[in-house]
Amino acid sequence: MVNPGDFSQAKDEELVRLTLDNRDNFLYLVDRYKGKLLSYIKRLTNVNDDDAEDILQDVFIKVYLNLNDFNDGLKFSSWIYRIAHNQVISNHRKLKARPEGYLSSIDDQAAQNLMADTDIVAGADLGLLRQNISKILNQLDYKYREVLVLKFLEEKNYQEISDIIKKPPGTVASTINKAKEEFRQEMVRQKIILSVS
Amino acid sequence: MDTNDFDQKLVDKIKHDNITPRPRWHFLLKDYVVRVTGALALLVGSAAVSVMIYLFKYNDWEIQEETHKTLLEFFLLTLPYFWLILLALFIFLLYYNLKHTKRGYRYPVWFIASAAFLVSVILGGVFYLAGLGEKIDTVLGEKAPLYEKVINRHFDFWFNPAEGRLIGIVLSKDDGQAFVLLDPSGSEWQVISKDEHFPLEELRVKQPINLIGQVIGDNEFQAEVVHPVRPGGGFWLRPRPRMMKTCQTDSCPLPPPPGFPAPR
Repeated sequence: MVNPGDFSQAKDEELVRLTLDNRDNFLYLVDRYKGKLLSYIKRLTNVNDDDAEDILQDVFIKVYLNLNDFNDGLKFSSWIYRIAHNQVISNHRKLKARPEGYLSSIDDQAAQNLMADTDIVAGADLGLLRQNISKILNQLDYKYREVLVLKFLEEKNYQEISDIIKKPPGTVASTINKAKEEFRQEMVRQKIILSVS
Repeated sequence: MDTNDFDQKLVDKIKHDNITPRPRWHFLLKDYVVRVTGALALLVGSAAVSVMIYLFKYNDWEIQEETHKTLLEFFLLTLPYFWLILLALFIFLLYYNLKHTKRGYRYPVWFIASAAFLVSVILGGVFYLAGLGEKIDTVLGEKAPLYEKVINRHFDFWFNPAEGRLIGIVLSKDDGQAFVLLDPSGSEWQVISKDEHFPLEELRVKQPINLIGQVIGDNEFQAEVVHPVRPGGGFWLRPRPRMMKTCQTDSCPLPPPPGFPAPR
């Protein structure tokens, strides 16, 4: 664990520069992002904790290797999420062997974000929905799941999502709309709402 | 997650595998390669456009009624397919490179493809005005294999005396209505012109021309239409491996023109 020091309050861009000067400073970045990225990886993949940590380690190795590729034209959080996104895709074989019933937990705030979208929840039994969000997300195609996770669970805006998955903002917006529609269709299939309006 | 354990494992892996950040020049070089490749694709695509404009301008529009049943047929048969395919390939390459720049992903496919196409066309127009289109066609005419079969199929179309079409350069002319023409196979033709719209005084030696008419004898052609040709000028600078008289008496390595038997 990194002991809080002068650099724990430094901006991400400053920490990148400090890491390039001294490898030990990398742990400040690790400490800042490991929790967020681990829950992101689990939400996308539903692998177990050990596999998720393996993927997370690969992510940070890639981050460290490519630090000189980061520039101020992009937010550091978008850049590191992009690396995590790409690493998840390249670990696809691990993802295919999803253990039955292994679902990541969705915390209350994340569930609240999803449920605050009236397009999704119109006509839904909110109690049932809260219990079944993970299950519903699991049934969606990966391309829909990833944008819903980024928008509602990771609370990224359209530009950030565009930078993470490297698609135009317009494409992100239309994919999110389709993803919401697919989410509602899945709610109907799981009898959380009676029909799609 | 045991956070201390994770941090320690990560640090151990970095130290054990001696992992260090890739140097900045590595990423700069990648960016540079993408940009240079994109720029080259733009230049080649634009060069293709400049040649197409040149070929389009001198496409025998004035005599298309004599050679084709309809304007549509003429247009479809005379499209420069080689250059269109080349342009499509390099526009795709340009699009691919633009998409892989640092910010390229922010723009939709249609925008980047349209931009690649428009810039190629505009730059191609500039190249044409600077004379590059004609220059490229001339050089290819002189040096490129299969020029007359693939790159500029007008040659193939016009070199068909049996169907009343002939192409060649003027070797010499007399004081009357006759002149000598050298065709792409190296054969010489005695040509009598009946074209009132093209006085023979306007013909120059070594000028490439198309003829519409009919064969009236052994390597004799009567031309109803005489039309100057501009594309393919470089083709006539190639060495001619045979002369007509030699091929009449000796064995000839080249085939005769279409519709004509091999010399005995």
